[in-house]
Amino acid sequence: MTTTTAACIEESFNIAGTSLQMRRGGSGAPLLILHGELGVPDWLRAYELLAQHYSVYVPSLPGFGSSEIPDWMMSVRDLSAWVNWFVRDYGLSTPLNVIGFSLGGWVATELATANSAIFSKMVLVGAAGIKPREGEIWDYFLNGAKDAFRKSFLNPAATEYVKYYGKDWTPDEAEQVECNREAAIRFLWRPYMHSVTLPGLLPAIGIPTLLLWGRQDAIVPMSSCELYKQGIPGAQVAVIEDCGHMPEMEKPEEFVKAVIEFLGT
Amino acid sequence: MFIGHFTEQPWQKEDWPAAWGSGVMEVSNREYDPFRAANLYNRYMDEKVYAEEMGFDGIMVNEHHSAPFCMNGVANVTASILARITSKAKIVILGNILPIHEDPLWLAESLAMIDVISRGRLVPGFVRGGGSESLAHNAPPHFNRERFEEAHDFLIKTWTTPGPFRWEGKHFHYRYVNPWAVPYQKPHPPIWVPGTSSRETVEWAAKHRYPYMMLASQLDLTQQMYQIYYDAAREAGYEAGPQHLGFMFFCHVEETEKRAIDVGRTLTQGVRSPYDPGAQRPRPWIEGPPGISTKSARALRRKMTASDSSGRTRAGARATFEDQVATHGMIVGTPESVVRKVRFIMETLRPGTIIFRTGDGAMAHEDQMRTLKLMGEEVLPAMREIGKELGLPGPYDVDPRTNAPLAAVAS
Repeated sequence: MTTTTAACIEESFNIAGTSLQMRRGGSGAPLLILHGELGVPDWLRAYELLAQHYSVYVPSLPGFGSSEIPDWMMSVRDLSAWVNWFVRDYGLSTPLNVIGFSLGGWVATELATANSAIFSKMVLVGAAGIKPREGEIWDYFLNGAKDAFRKSFLNPAATEYVKYYGKDWTPDEAEQVECNREAAIRFLWRPYMHSVTLPGLLPAIGIPTLLLWGRQDAIVPMSSCELYKQGIPGAQVAVIEDCGHMPEMEKPEEFVKAVIEFLGT
Repeated sequence: MFIGHFTEQPWQKEDWPAAWGSGVMEVSNREYDPFRAANLYNRYMDEKVYAEEMGFDGIMVNEHHSAPFCMNGVANVTASILARITSKAKIVILGNILPIHEDPLWLAESLAMIDVISRGRLVPGFVRGGGSESLAHNAPPHFNRERFEEAHDFLIKTWTTPGPFRWEGKHFHYRYVNPWAVPYQKPHPPIWVPGTSSRETVEWAAKHRYPYMMLASQLDLTQQMYQIYYDAAREAGYEAGPQHLGFMFFCHVEETEKRAIDVGRTLTQGVRSPYDPGAQRPRPWIEGPPGISTKSARALRRKMTASDSSGRTRAGARATFEDQVATHGMIVGTPESVVRKVRFIMETLRPGTIIFRTGDGAMAHEDQMRTLKLMGEEVLPAMREIGKELGLPGPYDVDPRTNAPLAAVAS
């Protein structure tokens, strides 16, 4: 099934052992987007801006959106191996650029520790995966879904917060949110949103990496960013001020500017 | 007829601040007063012993976690003590929450010891547990059913297969299964399955020929669940009977109707189980974290999650004491009127097991003891006659595994 709008092509197809939902658009060098634990509601403003420079691919990871999750899949490491499989079977030319958000940042990192040849440059945004030295990663599962979105933004007046989250959901929207939470719980349950072995593997990463954080990230604290920086050789840090866990939705223009500066065009 | 007794063993306290909500994962244990707890634990134990003395066939215990409405956080502790301080009654655990156990071998051995110490009086029920149980013990909600089924299979094998053997499952792994203690009852203690409204659980119980105990005190809902059991039994190749089905409801008995209502009302006061009609429900994401339920069961829950982002669900029964009395969820009265109402339930549902839930909520010890005495002297004997008249064998009259009469064995 394929739906084409002015902004993006949305399609679903069988690949890498599952049925996958894909949104893509733009032209240029391929840019892979690995979304976070709350899924992706739409072709976002940030993707639209990035698509002016790159061919942007936003697969819904297995279990999220309308993508199916195979029974065998249990961990983030499974998910990262799956991304490797997907990239090969989808025919994306490697090495390619990747942006990973929160859970997706953790997935990209896991993959990079095993196969640094797959990515040319890597952007990790509010990445999960490392237990912070100070503070805790906010618990999605002792809280309701709406609280999670609210917690992810510093500014509830942000355009895309208002558009997607700060409103009453239709039954279909509520159902999608709950399905995404079910996928997230499978990957994140325990140890909660981090791996105890990942810090030991970070020095294996040989990819130019940008760590991009919202200063007021209330989901994954800035101290996780510092640990990533210590672990990944040569990693750079960029901080977006007055911004929460989802800079791509809260401050899309600033976010895209930082990404383009790092990736080049 | 099998007649059981149950109390949720609520924390009792004069005041219950509104901020404590349902009490399920909403109250810090800094509020736990060990001196008050010591009195309550011993009180509830005394009541169990007295229930046995008054002729109840089974004394039931359960467990919940991080929840003051049920002080019995570890059912096996109470069951262990009851194994030693009682002598006749079956010790019915409804139930151990299988998916939250990381080490079901420990559970197998604990239950075997209780069965042995009680000289074969244990009924180890199994449940999947609510969301708070998974959250409190960090058991993965998304594998709740898989872990329930694998732990069940593991327990049965451990109880019936001489060790040592290996177990390499999906969720549990053992290189050496060979607990010294094995159960007193052969091939293993009789397993019962309690439930409220999960079709899957009823079908699973029927498939295994395990008696199903309906805990939600609603007659029409119970009839629907029983029908699912009958149908699943037929599909499995046998006819289910009263020996396979049980029903639990609140009860309070007094010498006069007026006193029964005045005192019975305390069942709906104090620290209440959030699963009872009229009680405040837990937050929806605590009650049903992502992945714990099947898609159909989730549909309703999703609606609740969506409609109430930070507060609590408005859905669910909000029945008053009067409503519950009117719908037979609570039976209060004199022995004579209680027997009449219980007879109606027995005729309507045809269960082989009835479990009375008494002394709950804010009920005082003296009131509980008085009702147990009246039940033992007047209600239970009458029920046994009605059971015979209506042909309602319990699971110790007719073997649920074979449908063969057990009377000869019992005598």
